[in-house]
Amino acid sequence: MALRELRSKAASTLWRDLRPCVSSARPNGLRHASSNPLDDLESSSSLSAPPPSNDIIKSWDPVVRTRSRKTQLPPSRYQFRSPKFYRGPLHPHQPPPPSDPSSRLFQPGPFSLPRLEQTYESTIAPDLLTMTYAHTPPGWVKPPKAQRLREWVGDSPYFKNRPLRGPRGGAHLRLLTPPRNFRTIPKLTGVTVHSMVPAAQDDSAYMHVAGMIIQAITNVRVTTHRARKSVASWGLRDKKFVSVTAKLEREDVYHFLGKLVDVVLPRIKEWKGVKGTSGDSSGNITFGLEPDVVAFFPEIEVNYDVYPPKMIPGCHITIHSTATNDRDARLLLQSIGIPFYGKMVN
Amino acid sequence: MILRIERARPIPTPGNATAIMNAGHRSARHIASRKGPSICHARISPYSSAATATAPALEAQAQLSSILPVTSTSLSQAYQIRAGVVLSRPPLLTRDLHPFEKSFYLYQRRLNERLALPFPRYFYFKKDTPADIDWKRKMKQRLTPARDIGVYNPYGPEGWNDEVLVGAQEAEPAWQVKRLLEDADASAPESAGADAAKGVEGAAVAEVGVEVAAEASKKKAEPVERPMPRETEADRKGDQRSLDRLMQRSLYLVVQNKEGRWVLPDDQIRGRETLHQAAERVLVQNAGLNMNTWVVGNVPVGHYSFEYLKRRPHPERKNVEELGEKIFFMKARIMAGQANLADNKLGIKDFKWLAKEEVQKVVNQKYWSAIQNMLTDR
Repeated sequence: MALRELRSKAASTLWRDLRPCVSSARPNGLRHASSNPLDDLESSSSLSAPPPSNDIIKSWDPVVRTRSRKTQLPPSRYQFRSPKFYRGPLHPHQPPPPSDPSSRLFQPGPFSLPRLEQTYESTIAPDLLTMTYAHTPPGWVKPPKAQRLREWVGDSPYFKNRPLRGPRGGAHLRLLTPPRNFRTIPKLTGVTVHSMVPAAQDDSAYMHVAGMIIQAITNVRVTTHRARKSVASWGLRDKKFVSVTAKLEREDVYHFLGKLVDVVLPRIKEWKGVKGTSGDSSGNITFGLEPDVVAFFPEIEVNYDVYPPKMIPGCHITIHSTATNDRDARLLLQSIGIPFYGKMVN
Repeated sequence: MILRIERARPIPTPGNATAIMNAGHRSARHIASRKGPSICHARISPYSSAATATAPALEAQAQLSSILPVTSTSLSQAYQIRAGVVLSRPPLLTRDLHPFEKSFYLYQRRLNERLALPFPRYFYFKKDTPADIDWKRKMKQRLTPARDIGVYNPYGPEGWNDEVLVGAQEAEPAWQVKRLLEDADASAPESAGADAAKGVEGAAVAEVGVEVAAEASKKKAEPVERPMPRETEADRKGDQRSLDRLMQRSLYLVVQNKEGRWVLPDDQIRGRETLHQAAERVLVQNAGLNMNTWVVGNVPVGHYSFEYLKRRPHPERKNVEELGEKIFFMKARIMAGQANLADNKLGIKDFKWLAKEEVQKVVNQKYWSAIQNMLTDR
């Protein structure tokens, strides 16, 4: 196999060397701007070929066809196994890209086109763009802004070539909000569901139940976390398992939020909504659910008897978006159907 | 003739306020707004747009607006400014999938079955309970915990045979819903068996299934509720006045004005009202109070302008003649209700709720080219 690849590589390098000569020999093959580009296309297409006849379609059975083979296909060629370890770019046995089903990193999906995603694309995103659009007339030039980090100003000779001063008012620079256009409409990127179960330190059953429940409502395998150090006031002991997390991405996000907004949240009694002060100023907003609210999820509800009622955990839900400030993130969540209350902090 | 390079009423956008707001501008706007209906003065100046005016242009504006109050006998020209509304009913249903999408999703579900860990039966069912026996019976039939991917054995030697054949029904959503309903019906007495499949493995199971199963657990013997049809009575009749039509598409309100032309509802801006206020008023005057609507944002989403064949004198202002009309369209959504033409004062004859390509058939070509980019394909 390696030998064959080597041969083909040698051929390709040879071809690369040859190419300029070929093009110089046939300059007439070049297309000029004035000539019709459609002339270069093949007139016949494989797409125009008729589909297989009905007889073939009806009689086609891949399994029967395989079984009727007299000799089996050689496994070395038809049953590719990705290498378990990456042995470097020069090794002949290279892993396929992660999008290939034979790759060990392959993740199947998407499995459906979620309703919420369709609503976002058809309704929410255009409305957000209209609502938050700031018009700049043609020819308008953005006034220049001073650089975000200050320089060291003074007579000290040590200020020369020194890195810029740290940001004002905090350790980190805030995200910049780009001007709104169709590319910068805030979009959901993920959800993190986190459940802290301190009781699991004494009885691991709590951890198992919490894991199963979070897994059932999110459709994502959970990861468990240990306490990093002992905190007596919180009852935490060092290196004991205390919490589970599920990180949702892509399709799971829309299915989870759809369930949450349409099924779970409307059933909470006297719920005011998410606090307006929630948010980390970079487009992520967190809120919590009580254990009895978690039991409202349809996956838990239909199978409620399976879980010990006292062990059903509450959870914190963080919704990640591409918004760069709390205001935009809140607007996105409000348009999805999550209410907010109290003082809104931006 | 006096050169007037100021707009009488700027479009209320947040952006241009900072760019062109200055003292002279404010005074011009004040004067213009006191004199009644809004007009747009034609600019016969080297500065093509107030918006693009640079520093010298701004100075010129200030000078010119200082001479604005001086009355002149010569005619000035203006456009009539109107507010239009693109009132839409967003899609209510998910769209129909392309055949390729259907096959692709089924293929991915089968791949998932091949790669997922086995279903933890011992967690969900106690041994030899009726639910456990029921589960085993079902697994023998369909070979996989997922209920909507057809008879497919993901772990067997023929697991590679996961692609959809031409003409196979497994990829059709209708077929999948039927399978889910059958399963829910069969397991209605003890619904635990059917519902347990919706763990991590039941990833692909549609929401329909969840609701159906929940229904099944409530009312024991009754057959589970079937999903509503995706086509309605109005679809079959082709009733273009109904809002229940084309539930997968956006519908837009078009009205037949007193000249008999089909247009999006619009009216002249009156007094000092903003585009947003005007849009709300236009909706009420065109289509009655029986609609719960929401005008989205404060900026227009498009505009349409045309010139009159012959200049007309301004109806209320002396020394001003109108060159044509400029319509700025605001976006609006309807939440509930229906248009009602009884006692409307604008002489609206008829209304229709139309999808994008149907709008193209009733409006004229020039109007269509101005509005088509405001309407969504879906």
